[in-house]
Formats: sequence, C-alpha cells, structure tokens
Amino acid sequence: MLSIKNLHASVEEKNIIKGLNLDVKPGEVHAIMGPNGAGKSTLGYVLSGRDGYEVSEGEATFNGKDLLELEVEERAREGLFLAFQYPVEIPGVSNMEFMKESVNAMREQRGEEPLTAAEFLKKAKEACKQVQLPLDFLKRGVNEGFSGGEKKRNEIMQMILLEPKLCILDESDSGLDVDALQVVADGVNSQRDGERSFIVVTHYQRLLDYIKPDFVHILADGKIVKSGDASLALEVEKSGYAFLGKAYEEAEA
Amino acid sequence: MSQWLEQVIDAAQISDYLAPVRQQALEKLKADGWPARRNESWRFTPLTPVEKREAKQAVQADSLPVPAIDNLNAIDLVFVDGVLVTQVNTLDVPAGMSITSLNNDDAATQQAISSVYGQVKPTRHMFGLVNDALCQHGIFINVEAGAKVDTPVRIVNMSSQNVDAHTRVVVKVAEGASATVIEQGFGDTESLTTAFAEYDLADDAHLEHYRFAMFTGKAKQLGGSHFKLHNRTTLNSTMVGYGSELSRLDVDIHHAGEFADAKMNAIYLLAEGELFDLHSTIEHAMPNGTTEENARGIVGDKARAVFNGRIHIHRDAQKTLAELNNRNLLLSRRGVINTKPELEIYADDVKCAHGATVAEIEEESLYYMLTRGISRSKALVMLNFGFIQELINDVPNTAVREWLAPILSERFAQMEVK
Repeated sequence: MLSIKNLHASVEEKNIIKGLNLDVKPGEVHAIMGPNGAGKSTLGYVLSGRDGYEVSEGEATFNGKDLLELEVEERAREGLFLAFQYPVEIPGVSNMEFMKESVNAMREQRGEEPLTAAEFLKKAKEACKQVQLPLDFLKRGVNEGFSGGEKKRNEIMQMILLEPKLCILDESDSGLDVDALQVVADGVNSQRDGERSFIVVTHYQRLLDYIKPDFVHILADGKIVKSGDASLALEVEKSGYAFLGKAYEEAEA
Repeated sequence: MSQWLEQVIDAAQISDYLAPVRQQALEKLKADGWPARRNESWRFTPLTPVEKREAKQAVQADSLPVPAIDNLNAIDLVFVDGVLVTQVNTLDVPAGMSITSLNNDDAATQQAISSVYGQVKPTRHMFGLVNDALCQHGIFINVEAGAKVDTPVRIVNMSSQNVDAHTRVVVKVAEGASATVIEQGFGDTESLTTAFAEYDLADDAHLEHYRFAMFTGKAKQLGGSHFKLHNRTTLNSTMVGYGSELSRLDVDIHHAGEFADAKMNAIYLLAEGELFDLHSTIEHAMPNGTTEENARGIVGDKARAVFNGRIHIHRDAQKTLAELNNRNLLLSRRGVINTKPELEIYADDVKCAHGATVAEIEEESLYYMLTRGISRSKALVMLNFGFIQELINDVPNTAVREWLAPILSERFAQMEVK
C-alpha cells in the first residue's frame, strides 16, 4: 500500500526527516511514536504534499504510484487521508458544503455519480451520529468555534465519509478526555476492514489501548530507530524515550 | 497637453441644440489641460495609454451580435464603436416610456434632454467633458409620471476597431415612476470608450440600475454613471468591473431631496495585469437621506485595483445614514490595491461608517481543503468567493443574477494564485 524508502525532507531548509523507511501493507495498523521534534507531524505533511515541505531524497510509492509526484488533492483522491492534529477553522464555508464537495471529488475519482444533496445529507447524518456530534455541526462553518475534542471528532467523521485507503492520524488523541478518546477510537476501529490501513501518530501509548497496532515504530531525529509489536509502546510508556539517549530525555523534560 | 486631448479639442465642433454645454466643456478642457502626474484623481491610474493616442471616431459601424442575458426580456440598444446601430424608432417600448436618439428634431424632447445633459454629471470628470463635447450618438429614455416599467432597458457598448467611442445615455424618471436600466460594455481590442450616463430621478421615483464595465485587454474604458435623487427617490445599483489596460468608472450619487435612499453594490474581479479604478462620490445635500455602498473586489497577479469612495455630508443634511465599505482579496503579492474611503461630514446629527480591508489567500485553509480531495480552483472559489457571492445574491433581478453568478465564479476560478 505505502512504501517509503530513505526519505529525506526539510522545512525552511531545516532537515527534519533524515532517511525514513516504512512499509505499510493493506489492513495494517502502524503506530509511530516519538519525542517532540522527532518529525512525526512533518511525516504526515510530507506524505500529504503540503507546500513548503521539500523532499530532497528518497521515494514514497502509494498503491504503485509515485506519491511525491502527485498534487495534494490527487493524493487525497488516491485514498490518502490525513487527520490533522490541529484541524483548520474555515468560517464562511459550511461543514456540510465542505464535506459534500470532498465526498463528491472522491466519487468522481472512482467514476461514480455525485451524491445529491439529500443523499449526502443522509450519509452525513449517520456519520455525525457515529462520532457523537450534534447534527447542527453540519451547518456550522468548518471547525468554526468547535472545541478541541469536537474538531478531532469532525476529522474522524470526514474519514468515515471519505472512505480512504490509508489514514494517517496525527495525534488524534491529543487534548481528548477519556470519553472523547473512546469515540475517536471507536470511529477508527469501525473503519478497520482488513483492507484499509492506518498510521497512528501519537506521543502517548494511551490511544493504543483503544486502537491495537500491528506494529509500533519509534521515530527519533527524523528516522525510525526502533520497531516492534504493541509491547514496544508499553515499554515506552513505562520508561520513556530514555533509551534513545540523553538529548531526548531533555527534550521530554 | 497630450496629443490626444489636443486632437479632441480640435475635433469638437458640433453645432446642435447641445452646443452651449459642449462649448462649456471644451472651455474647461482647454483651461484644465492634461492632468499632471500628481493629480489626485489620477494618482494611481496612469493615463499614458491615452496620452499619445490618435483621437479618431468611427463614421459608421456594422451591427454585431450581442450576447444575450438568458431569460432576460429586455429592450436592447446597441452602440458599436460609438455608433448607435439600433433603429430606435422601430423599438417596441412599453406604455409610459419613450426612447429617442439624442439626434432628434423635437423641441420638447430636446428641452428635456438639455435639462439633464451635462447637468447631473459633475464637471470635474475630464473624460465626461470630452464626452460632453464630442458625443454624437446617445439615447434618451423618458419614463412618465407614475409609469411602472418592468421591462429592463439594456444599453450595450461594444468595441471592434481601434477608434474612440463617445456614447451618452440620458434618463429621466418622473414622479412615482420606476424603471430598470442596464449599462453593459465589452470588447478587448485596442479601442477607447467613454460611456457616460446621467439619471435624473424625480420625487418617489425608483431606479434599478446595473453597470457591467466588462472591457478587457487593450480596450480602454473611461466612463461614468451619475444620479440625481429627489424626495424619496430610491436607487438600487449594481456594478461589475473587469479590468483592462485602463478602466475607470466614476459614479456620483447626489441626494438633492429628502428621504432618498441609495444602495450601491460594486464588484470587481481583475485578472492578471488588469487595472480597474472605481471612484464614487455620494453627495448628501439634504436631510434624512440614506446611502449604503459596498465595493468588493478580487485582484489577480500584477493587477491593480483603485477604489476611492467619498461621502460628503453637507451642513443641512441632518439625520443622514451613510455606510461605505470596501473589501479586497489579493491573489498575489504582485497585485496592488489602492483604497481610500473618505467621509467628509459637516452636519452634526448623522450616522456614518466606513471601512476598507485587504486580505490575502489563507494558505492553511486551502491546504486543508486540498487534503480532502477538493480541487484547487473549487477550493479557492469556496474559500474566497463568498464575499463576492453575497453581493451577487443581492442582485434584485433574477435573470441578471443567474447570468452573473456563473460568469463571475468562472472568471475567478481562472484567475491564478501566485
């Protein structure tokens, strides 16, 4: 599904990703953990194609296509979904209009007819209920005035509606209380179907109690320095990132 | 002095019933001369494309097909290269309205025209004076007292060859009457059009007005729409400006009676390298008048928008309510907006507000939408067209609104963000 080889990327001429390798197969859940500043969020931005994130070396293929050659919207239409750590507020564009437009962009990609307003409304209402957001959130501006937890749930709602092939969840657990965390995790788990893959980027092990990863990777200084199964996350939880060396202990402090 | 203005002054020898006004205009043109570079009225709008031009008018012109406004059942009057190509006397005009050429032999009609021609439009507009002196093709629309004319009159200016076109529209709407007038101009070839319109709106009259200044490319347009409002007159005006090598629109709304109500919405969408300049002046000379003016524009790469909005509230104009707002979106760092709202208030019991803003593309919002698979052009329209769409939604005529919405969003979608 996704194959990243020796990826190097920089932001404002500062190297952040320094030789990252990662293989994600259909249906797998990969957790990426790591200290602050390791490049966790940068990875999501680079894969989604954000402006200003320059790839200097390496490759990334997604379903056989050269991901790095595609525009941001083309990557999304190929089935790459990024759930933002800090979802953007867009006053003036309703959540409904926003999601209908994106769902129909995906449908067009698959050669399907666009949904009518009524058809879309039905789907949106179901998704809205699933992530336990009040229905009037559909009418409000995108993320406008939403609390942190509501924004995260809105991201999961979009994920459910867009039916992507690969979901990158960028710290979808940050700032959530236990109940909200459960809603987000349930939303994600409902989308696990043996085909859809997930990259769960998180600082804490907590989310992984709810979303069971197949693999856990530790990202430090722009590379994956250790990989293992779910037990690696528990190890990190217990003893922190101390094993990475002194510099990271300080970063954590 | 410019070569063009000298030739204009030499050419202006028309001895008809409008000669006194023409002569006055000519005298003022001679006295004022070509505007100096620092002239406040032209400070951000260089007249170089006209300065060394050859002043030459078309003797005749062929009728050209006029693009329709779908579902709009209007009376069309067409000028091509400044020549009126519509046979005015064969038009089917609704009861209570008459449409005549400025060239007519009827003394009463001539007198009616003379009461408006050069009387509503202030004399400070240089190209208005040129139009006063040189205009040979124009039309007069008269709406009788109490007549409610639903059928819009559409006046189209088209340019097809490299000549100067000077056209004039004179409109009188009598007591309690109502009318709809659409002024539309387009063309992109090398040309110069001065299209001026004067509206004398009597007590309780209502005018729905549109001006679509859609000349582009090398077509230079220097025009104006000027309104005189009396007691309880209502004016609802919508203007749309595209830019060209040189595009300037002057608007004057004169509250000469009490309780008049003027609403003006202006939209400008400037593609790469275009210039559009909107100067509006609202004179509140009498008490209890209301003005609401919204000018909103999007400025593309290397394009320049100039907005000057003046509201002048005279000493006697107590209880005036006036609002002026200008909002802009820049699509590129190389685009330029010069905006200047001016309030000049001499009465002490008035409510006035003005404001101007310039915004840029929200990169983060755009990125967010792209990650959801929405195309760049669609995302830009969704993010940035809302404030223009609001003014489109405000267009009172359904057919005009439905015609305008797609052509403007299409024009915007084709403008590149750099």
